[in-house]
Amino acid sequence: MERKRSAMLLALPAALALFLFFVCPMVYILVKTIGENGFSDFLDFFSDPFYLDILWTTVRVSLLSTAVSLILGYPTAYYMARTRSRLKNVMMIIILFPFLVSAVVRAYGWMVILGKNGLLNQLLEAIGLISDPLEILNTETAVIIGMIHLLIPYMILSLIGVLQSIDPNVEYAAESLGASPFETFLKVVFPLSLPGIISGCVLVFTMSMTSYATPKLLGGSKFRMMATMVVQEINVNFDWGAASAISYILMAAILLAQLIIVLGTSRYMKRMGGGKNA
Amino acid sequence: MRDKRSNPLCAIVAVLIMLFLIAPLVVIILASFTPTALITFPPKGFSLEWYANIFSKSNNFISGLANSLKIGLGATVLDIFIGVTASLAICRYDFKGKNMLLNYFTSPMYVPGVSFAFVLLQVYSQVGGVPGWARIFIGHFIIILPYIIRNTVSVLHVFNWTLEDAATSLGANPVQVFFKVTIPLAKPGILAGALLAFLYSFDEVALSSLLSTPRFVTLPIRIMNYMEMSFDPTLAAISTLLILCSLILVVLMEKFVGLDMFMR
Repeated sequence: MERKRSAMLLALPAALALFLFFVCPMVYILVKTIGENGFSDFLDFFSDPFYLDILWTTVRVSLLSTAVSLILGYPTAYYMARTRSRLKNVMMIIILFPFLVSAVVRAYGWMVILGKNGLLNQLLEAIGLISDPLEILNTETAVIIGMIHLLIPYMILSLIGVLQSIDPNVEYAAESLGASPFETFLKVVFPLSLPGIISGCVLVFTMSMTSYATPKLLGGSKFRMMATMVVQEINVNFDWGAASAISYILMAAILLAQLIIVLGTSRYMKRMGGGKNA
Repeated sequence: MRDKRSNPLCAIVAVLIMLFLIAPLVVIILASFTPTALITFPPKGFSLEWYANIFSKSNNFISGLANSLKIGLGATVLDIFIGVTASLAICRYDFKGKNMLLNYFTSPMYVPGVSFAFVLLQVYSQVGGVPGWARIFIGHFIIILPYIIRNTVSVLHVFNWTLEDAATSLGANPVQVFFKVTIPLAKPGILAGALLAFLYSFDEVALSSLLSTPRFVTLPIRIMNYMEMSFDPTLAAISTLLILCSLILVVLMEKFVGLDMFMR
């Protein structure tokens, strides 16, 4: 009993700080918003094609970024988990390094490369592939490129962990029983790496749903995602009702997405008998 | 010696991804030394004028840096105190609702930065009179706490608590046990968490762009504001300095705690 009390005492400062500065404001503002305006702001959101389009853009960009990060991140993680080359440490640093560099700085790098007078256009014009500069910056493509650059390290790190923990003997066993390398991958390695795929996808999807700096800097003024729209409603349109509707819908969308992914896969994992690592 | 299971196609993808990851950073570093306002490759000469421009008073980069450092360091230090004690409570003692408590502590991670920022903005407008630094400090203080707790817990989770009993039986008092056994052994997790937390705060834009006041602006917001007005290589110069700082941090972390700490 005494142990429990000292545990509570140690946890108290953090618990109180969170309660005071996080839980209270979140609950208070939600209650206040609904108390004052009812659900009208939320109804406005769902009846206005302009806002629905922003929601759809946000989901589309996030799904695409997640899919490409997985498709390109998986082979990268696979190679890194298995290589004995000394390059592995260099690669590890390259993956961790952009982690530590701000999203603003990284977006700036892409602005220099993708801009109208940017390096990519200079290069393509110099070798005579195009005569007019390509419009990449301030489009959805630029946002997706920036997003993948920002988030693929998270995907790779989630995957390396599980891929490294797969016992090589399981694969040798499959092979000695006559499976081709492709079959071994499909029926042994891939299912065993599923926990990493799921955690990587959840992480990348939610981070891209809520990202702010990348869409703002690479998408230009006409490109809108949920997070940039919240700021625009407050700082430009001064419409706090709309801002709070968007902000709560964004929160709900993320929770929903995580719930679907986690519930949908935990059933699958149980069937696979691999739920322990999930 | 090659692993039989490795695949040349994967190696090619891996190398291309590495090039993709470093390309913008290399471009920024090279661009920071171009003498012309328009960035061209190959650069037409070499110049440090953009670096000098960082220190020009009108850009406010230095005051932005000072503000970012104050907020980042202050929030991280305070969070280390309350975060490490909270992690100890979760890992050291057995009680019901342990996991619930951990989820509670990491819950700010699951709320979008802008949503939390907007909630705080509304509270500040009701309360009134909250000074500029405090508006951002409270936000950062809350959103970086999960990083410190999660990383500390990941170390304490596999901690051998009998070491504490051993120290006690050898005559150490509880304070000595804490500072000479528990803390040194948990240090890698605390340091990794603190680094991630500090960098999160230092680089944060969503929250700061809603909560900053004209008199208290952090560095990333200054950089973003500058981008809207002009696009000269001053941005490349300050970005290069930030990249350099990150590089130094990575090397220091690799030396003192190892990069594995970031893979949890």
